[in-house]
Amino acid sequence: MLEQKLQEIFGYNEFRPGQKEIIEQLMKGRDCVALLPTGMGKSMCYQLPGYMFNKPVLIVSPLLSLMQDQVDQLRQRGEKRVVALNSFLSPNEKTYALHFLHEYRFIFTSPEMLTQPQVRQRLQSMELSLIVADEAHCISQWGFDFRPDYLRIGEILGEKRPPILALTATATDSVLEDIKKYLYMKQPYEFIHHVNRDNIKLAKYVFDKKEEKQEWILEHVKNTEGPGIVYMSSRKRCDEFSQLLIENNIRAASYHAGKDAEDRQFIQQQFIQNDVEWIVATNAFGMGVHKDDIRQVIHESMPANVSNYMQEIGRAGRDGKDALAILLYADGDEHYARYVAIEDLPKTMHVDAYAAYRQIQQNPNVMLNGDGISETAFRVLDYWMQQEPQEAVKRRLLNMEENKHTAVREMANIIHTSTCMRAKLVEYFGQTLIKPQEVCCTECGLEIDKIIGPRRKVTKQAQMTWDERLQKLLFGHI
Amino acid sequence: MMLRQILLHIFYKLNNERTINAAYHLLRGKRSGQTIQDVGIFKLYPYFGILRKLSRPTFEDGVNSLRAEGWIKTDDNGYFTLTESGGEQAEKLTPTFFDGWHYQGNEHIFYGRLSLIVQSLSNQSAGIRAFVPIQRNEEIQGWCRRFLLESDFRSGTLQQTLFNELKTSMEQGELSTLQKELIVERLTGVGVTGVPWQQLSFEHELSELDCQLLFISALHQWLDIIYQNKERFIYLSRLMETIRIDNVLTGSAYQTAQMYNQGYSLDQISAMRRLKVSTIEDHLVELAMNEPTFDITPFISREQHQAVQQAVSMYATKKLKVLHDALPHLSYFQIRLALAKGEV
Repeated sequence: MLEQKLQEIFGYNEFRPGQKEIIEQLMKGRDCVALLPTGMGKSMCYQLPGYMFNKPVLIVSPLLSLMQDQVDQLRQRGEKRVVALNSFLSPNEKTYALHFLHEYRFIFTSPEMLTQPQVRQRLQSMELSLIVADEAHCISQWGFDFRPDYLRIGEILGEKRPPILALTATATDSVLEDIKKYLYMKQPYEFIHHVNRDNIKLAKYVFDKKEEKQEWILEHVKNTEGPGIVYMSSRKRCDEFSQLLIENNIRAASYHAGKDAEDRQFIQQQFIQNDVEWIVATNAFGMGVHKDDIRQVIHESMPANVSNYMQEIGRAGRDGKDALAILLYADGDEHYARYVAIEDLPKTMHVDAYAAYRQIQQNPNVMLNGDGISETAFRVLDYWMQQEPQEAVKRRLLNMEENKHTAVREMANIIHTSTCMRAKLVEYFGQTLIKPQEVCCTECGLEIDKIIGPRRKVTKQAQMTWDERLQKLLFGHI
Repeated sequence: MMLRQILLHIFYKLNNERTINAAYHLLRGKRSGQTIQDVGIFKLYPYFGILRKLSRPTFEDGVNSLRAEGWIKTDDNGYFTLTESGGEQAEKLTPTFFDGWHYQGNEHIFYGRLSLIVQSLSNQSAGIRAFVPIQRNEEIQGWCRRFLLESDFRSGTLQQTLFNELKTSMEQGELSTLQKELIVERLTGVGVTGVPWQQLSFEHELSELDCQLLFISALHQWLDIIYQNKERFIYLSRLMETIRIDNVLTGSAYQTAQMYNQGYSLDQISAMRRLKVSTIEDHLVELAMNEPTFDITPFISREQHQAVQQAVSMYATKKLKVLHDALPHLSYFQIRLALAKGEV
């Protein structure tokens, strides 16, 4: 019966692991926690139920880009009853959407929107069939992406509430505990997918000097096949390194949150069509990129935590064929990683500044203009200052900073291990490897040229004149 | 480097009488009384709001390079002086065409509409019904949907009509080949993906910012052509709906103007709108600058107006402080009105 619906609506013949079990439990009204890797069909777990219930599904998604991506996908499939309630809506659009809210099949919204009384009241007043907490690890302060507004989901849950589905690609045991607690879940069904991806081979190279890493990547990229992603830690470095690749006749593009919206779409499109071979990106790249044949993911510098690392390398080899994840390390990388990790946390001085503004009855959000605090950091600060006294907030922040440092140490441990990296990674998520792999990781004797082929030459496409291009755009041919 | 040329030209026109920041606010199109008055006093209409998202560091880089060339000097208060060589350079300039005053960033909305319509028609030609829209802005999406329906796009003939208009209008003006290329390379469709700025910069051997400035300049020229030939470019001129700003008063100044024309006094307007009298004065100065028929004699006599003009030429300045010292019996408001109005 479920399979039949799947075929009818989505055109797939079978479910991917976990989907059917989760959907069955939800249909029975039971809460679910699903830990599924990116690209394993998390969204199907609520999309299919959306067509089986007669009431709207509410999806709370903390990342605007991700929300937009899911809305696009649904609309592309022809679904019209979908709405994204977010800060991009004009007041008119918002009024309209709220008025007809009960008529939609899928309602996407952000945790921030839930804090608006108007939105909250409307949601409380209507019947929902299912509430989905996407990227649910953001609800946990142990998580690397803690988003305090996420805690407010609890506030819209009444006595008689529909089942909740918590979705995440990455979570440790303590994060899973937090998810269940803050979403008030009642004996939820848990589906934990095995985190190991055996077709992704793990390589690691250690350098004496940082500068040697970029030289190494350049040589490597000149000689091996893509498509691939190079992750770097700052926008500026992405711009500069991608420029170096382009100058070496490699079709590369820089991608980060500083690029304009059109550019981001052009680059994704070019990457998917293989017009661009390598993306040099900050961790802003990846979410919502649907490309199955990524062969390599290179980390020029160390990720701030193991979860990020797993998520980023997980974008390789979704077609199931061999792929390569390369991690480069030079002495002292931890220092920089630690700096990046706590960059978005408010500091003790910000707590004092906030309190001072409050004392003189000024809105503390003036801090955003020039007190050296990022928007993300301010949101965290703003939330806790409304919950707790000044000193408690300071203690809490120091605690969070310590957690971030611990996360960097855990990542470093995986780099510095002299035993199997894969075993270490899997262990971090509280799982064990079912069986050792023949071709596994650098510590197990991986030879990368057996995994990755030589670079393929591409012939340059003929240039079009401006009016030919216009013609091709409008008519499909010259 | 185009930004440097533009800055040099702006500083040249500002005649050492404003701070460096005046140029920053001008380029970003700040809607403050001060910036708007600067536009009128120093005839900086072309540059108003051409880079609405200009970042501080990029701006500083531009200023620093002028300084490094020895074309300007700056002091600790943010004021600048054009050096002799800077003045010579400025006079040699052939400034790139901009029409910032009439578009103020709206050219990007026009282009957003065009790009979504082209993308839609491209997909229609390929028989594809659903695609990810290149424009996320829901207002633009709604506008394009209405446009396509009203243009009966289902008949499949809009492609040809639009193509003809695009080609003819782009060939008609003085757009360079590079500018025409930039305009079409930022369009996207089936089998032809839009080109990111980084790649355009590499292909055309120009910085990214230069490509963007040339693109904006091209849009301004092109829009002016369409505007002047409305009856020939029927579809393109519809795309220009609400894009061109001919009534350039800020929203608030517009309200003041209406009340003033109904016969309310400054103090009455100030009280009714709960705004400071000085703000209302700003609005009237804006009005004096933009509305040729606005009569300033209720505030300053013809003789006084003439005296201001004489002081301007005698002291070769439009600095308010200097003029006020020379004509202490006039208020700053009166002097600003006279400056805004220009010749008697």
